Amino acid sequence: MSAHSHLDGKLPHEPERATLEGRNKVLGFWLFLGGETVLFGTLFSAFLALRDQVGDGNPTSQELFKLATVAIATVILLTSSLTSVFAIQAMHRGQVKAMQNWLIVTVVLGLAFLGLEVYEFIEYTHEGHQFSTSAFSSSFYTLVGFHGAHVALGVVWISLLIGQVYRKGLTVVTAPKVYVAGMYWHFIDVVWVFIFTVVYLMGKVG
Amino acid sequence: MAHAHPVKRHTGLMDWLTTVDHKKIGILYLIAGGFFFLIGGLEALLIRVQLWKPLNNFVGADTYNELLTMHGTTMIFLAAMPVIFALMNAIVPLQIGARDVAFPFVNSLGFWTFFFGGLLLNISWLAGTVPDAGWTSYVPLASPTYNVDKGVDFYVLGLQIAGIGTLIGGINFLVTIINMRAPGMSFMRMPMFTWTAFITSALILFAFPALTVGLVALMFDRLFEANFFEVAGGGNTVLWEHIFWIFGHPEVYILILPAFGVISEVISTFSRKRLFGYSSMVFATVLIGFLGFMVWAHHMFTVGLGPVANALFSIATMLIAVPTGIKIFNWIFTMWGGSIRFTSANLFAVGFVPTFVMGGVTGVMLAAAPADFQYHDSYFVVAHFHYVIVGGLVLGLFAGLHYWWPKMFGRALNEFIGKLTFWTFFIGFHLTFFVQHFLGLMGMPRRIWTYLDGLGFNTMNLISTIGAFLMGLGTIFFIINIIVTAAKPKNAGNDPWEDGRTLEWSIPSPAPEYNFAQTPLVRGYDALWKEKMDGNEGMSPAEPIGPIHMPSPSILPFLMSVGLFIAGFGFLYAKNDWNNAFVSNIFGNHIVAGLGLAITLGCMVVRSLKDDHGFHIEPEEITGKGVKA
Amino acid sequence: MSNHTTHSEEPAKRHKHEGPKKHIIAYVFSMLLTLVAFATVIGGEINTSFIYILLIIMAIMQVIIQMGFWMHMKDRGHLFPIVGILTGVFVVFTIVIMAEFWTWW
Repeated sequence: MSAHSHLDGKLPHEPERATLEGRNKVLGFWLFLGGETVLFGTLFSAFLALRDQVGDGNPTSQELFKLATVAIATVILLTSSLTSVFAIQAMHRGQVKAMQNWLIVTVVLGLAFLGLEVYEFIEYTHEGHQFSTSAFSSSFYTLVGFHGAHVALGVVWISLLIGQVYRKGLTVVTAPKVYVAGMYWHFIDVVWVFIFTVVYLMGKVG
Repeated sequence: MAHAHPVKRHTGLMDWLTTVDHKKIGILYLIAGGFFFLIGGLEALLIRVQLWKPLNNFVGADTYNELLTMHGTTMIFLAAMPVIFALMNAIVPLQIGARDVAFPFVNSLGFWTFFFGGLLLNISWLAGTVPDAGWTSYVPLASPTYNVDKGVDFYVLGLQIAGIGTLIGGINFLVTIINMRAPGMSFMRMPMFTWTAFITSALILFAFPALTVGLVALMFDRLFEANFFEVAGGGNTVLWEHIFWIFGHPEVYILILPAFGVISEVISTFSRKRLFGYSSMVFATVLIGFLGFMVWAHHMFTVGLGPVANALFSIATMLIAVPTGIKIFNWIFTMWGGSIRFTSANLFAVGFVPTFVMGGVTGVMLAAAPADFQYHDSYFVVAHFHYVIVGGLVLGLFAGLHYWWPKMFGRALNEFIGKLTFWTFFIGFHLTFFVQHFLGLMGMPRRIWTYLDGLGFNTMNLISTIGAFLMGLGTIFFIINIIVTAAKPKNAGNDPWEDGRTLEWSIPSPAPEYNFAQTPLVRGYDALWKEKMDGNEGMSPAEPIGPIHMPSPSILPFLMSVGLFIAGFGFLYAKNDWNNAFVSNIFGNHIVAGLGLAITLGCMVVRSLKDDHGFHIEPEEITGKGVKA
Repeated sequence: MSNHTTHSEEPAKRHKHEGPKKHIIAYVFSMLLTLVAFATVIGGEINTSFIYILLIIMAIMQVIIQMGFWMHMKDRGHLFPIVGILTGVFVVFTIVIMAEFWTWW
């Protein structure tokens, strides 16, 4: 078991792939993301099928969506994707402190995104766009809410990892976890790209 | 290198609850799947008793709906899939020369979530509100407007939890097969069963998320007043059918492909011949998997999607007959000129071939969209899918179980009782379902509770019921066989059939905890057979004997699944009218559901924080068991 | 299990640590794409289906940046990740066709 190779003070260049366990984890997570693609794809499809089913007297997507909020959320999430790249780069250079700092920035940006989303949802419900208002509203909240839940899970996950690396240091055991969490974060960002395009921008166009 | 990490090794019940050993998990899958198979079989017998004569009143119409719903759901999700996973767990790592699966912990988690999901679904019988909207649970029949009881909630939550287990099990096998093959075991040297396990796992990975979304949407509709399928709120009922079948059709291939793999292994072994057309078999398997995603709407020809959609899906469906036909011919050519031994395993395999052809032919008939308007929702369809699932999959599973039983348990099943099992089950099967083709063509609709006298249905329904009881008798013979065999000494050798071709037959039966004392060096397709032909005693090792690292057992997968089980109950009874204010409060405010999810998430955190150092099995312990140095 | 790890160590050649420059360029690109996407919609007055196509193309370009550069999918040794993601995308493609053409008529 090479799980203790950190004892000699030097990590391999790509510590996430140094052990079979690490390689299994990375590949398994890639495949999981393939499955997540289908999960979100199905949610998107349900939304596409139901997005015109607004019902009489309920706000339409053109009336509802405020692009300013969405634009800010997008910038925040895209930036957090960049900071998570920096974290992984720091990890590859063996700079644990820098890695943790970039991860903290990522978490903070994730929290900001979540705050914005909660604010947006509360606004919408005040305008009569509630979960059970129409098929449009149900599919909207389910799709965007699933993404939000993924962000929330990612925030908790990365926070726990920061603590774990603080306690155990960067090893061939912890490195794959950080790497995989980074992949997860990028994937969330990819999903958001489609949400702002398909849900918000196309919804605004009509 | 070899730190001796002290690790608590459990015995008795705790050993089974905490095991991460793929061979033991395989046995757990077999026990649980077998248990649900008996429940589903009992439901089938009750259905057949109700239908044995016209205007029978054995069970009420409501109960009948519950029986047929639970029969279908149980057999597909809780009996067939787990037994497939049992064989995959028991055999795939051995066939590729691996010491373990890629994620032993996740493997155990997959089993327990499946088990508790299945338990939740079946507890509906005790709760008195059983799912009754069919295994496809079509809306609006399953919608809160028309189905006010909790039955469908049990369906939604039970399948959701069981589905998580299946999905992570699929990922586990994909990574195992990609990353953990022994040196020399290239993809095109993999045994056919491993190939089919690989493609089946891929289908699970890409099909189950669609079911997850469908079930979430139905759950939101039922529990949180969403409008996905509520027409009054702008929802669309056809959307459910699409989502269900986008999952549901690949699911059919998830079921049948492993059976194809088993048949390939068994026929090749007992014909003492290399599998005919191995590479075309691999190609056909991949192609069936790929096409499986493009045919879902053939379940929906009568919905009215229009001529373009119906034509497209009709042609795509018929295309699948091509790779399937390739397989049928390959099996026949494998037997051709071979020295065939009709062991009970091979009887099941040989019986499979014509039976599956019949199921395939009716499949092509159903694929013709205009004709399907006549067959739709008649007993013709019932006959068709039982020919492919029972005549295909279940015969395949029986073949696999008889074939690999010595490798799993160290004792070969009794051959005489095995043949008795085959003949009663096989004859019973054809008696039950062959006549149903004609019942369907004469116009008997499926899922009906009873029928009138004088329609010409009487005799054939009686025959069908007699056949069902014969199948039940066959199952009882199989159980007797298991009991008789369990009383025998564990004396199966490494290669009890003497003609074993693949790696699992190069190691003791049952396989030791670490599978291979030394990872074998694979030098060709049918790795063990090649060594036999070259006059070698077993496989040549690819590494010296050294300490073997093993993962530690863990109770966390069990606890995580219990958490999901509790959460399922919390959601189910959130809106129940409780007499007690306190109980009403903790369920109504989702405290029970939250608690269950907290248990699951808490266990995940513990798992992440606590490093699993595992333990080592030292060379002395290995060589003590007689391994050549 | 451990024995597998020994004979598949990283190749001896030292990888060059890539700097942040490439990623900052990628970031600027994705920001530009976002900006153009929002501007197109706010600017309005163009043909709706043209905007749809434009938006989808820009989303796909963003995904290529994210997955290719930031998730290292363009690097060697990513055959199975690529197969996995592309299969998922293919399945999603069929599901989207379903939603667009075969739910209402």
